[in-house]
Amino acid sequence: MSDDEKFRSLEMENRQGFWKASLNPWLIRAKNNPERVAFVLHRVTGFIIIAFLLAHILETDSPVWSQYAPINGLSGWAAWTYIMGIESAWWARLGEWIVAGAVLFHALNGFRLLLTEFFGLGIGKPVEPKPPYEAPTLNAPQRTWLYIEFVVALVLWAFSAFLIFG
Amino acid sequence: MGIFSIFDIWVIEMENKASNIQIWQYITAILLIFLLGYHLLQRVPWLFNVSTFDQTLTSAFVYNQYKEAGWALLLLAWVALFHGLNGVRGMLFELHQGKTYNTIINVLFWLVFIVFAAIAALTIVKLPAY
Repeated sequence: MSDDEKFRSLEMENRQGFWKASLNPWLIRAKNNPERVAFVLHRVTGFIIIAFLLAHILETDSPVWSQYAPINGLSGWAAWTYIMGIESAWWARLGEWIVAGAVLFHALNGFRLLLTEFFGLGIGKPVEPKPPYEAPTLNAPQRTWLYIEFVVALVLWAFSAFLIFG
Repeated sequence: MGIFSIFDIWVIEMENKASNIQIWQYITAILLIFLLGYHLLQRVPWLFNVSTFDQTLTSAFVYNQYKEAGWALLLLAWVALFHGLNGVRGMLFELHQGKTYNTIINVLFWLVFIVFAAIAALTIVKLPAY
């Protein structure tokens, strides 16, 4: 394979179209690209969180709406207790744990993005481009922060398992 | 010249729309650090002298938290809703652009936001006593 073809091949790995590139982290074929993994995971976790949030708003409003539409004859805080009873099942706890992981990753990655985009964390201030034109975003400090974020998210996710299943 | 001017205005307008979406993502993200941080801490049992996660979800416990800082939870719901729906809106604009499409997405965004924001407000206003 010529250098040109290699470059084209590598470039195409990062151009997979919206759905593949945005929503399915398991389809990423780009090598050595944790930034892409973080980008895709940020979107996937975002979708998990917004789906949960809409359900969570309805769930937390249950003491109110159950007064007009009782659940199994239960209304007010009795309906809340009934819903919490359903949510104590293992499958519901598993769902909560997945949402907890999504929230932790999304929050930490979002915080990293705020620091990077506002203060240049790990990439420094913009400078005049000079040969050999290496992208500052791919320099080590930025990636170090990214890896730290992955580790912290995993540790906190493990802690959340202890809370939810413990 | 006239065509270029119209095109320039269109480009500037599109840029403003794109950046507005991102600026609101930043503002709501900063607010969420504090509001969501507070809400997550509400589920850590040892901070409230109870021993399990489930004990932080009992009717009495949740009712007290609503009474103590219901306004913060309502603000959290509104800000999180805006951040989430605005994020989805941004992604849908990445997928496709067009006058009718943009209008439909914007109308849907505000519709879903207003409905769920109203439900969240009702939780605070009409919450029955425990």
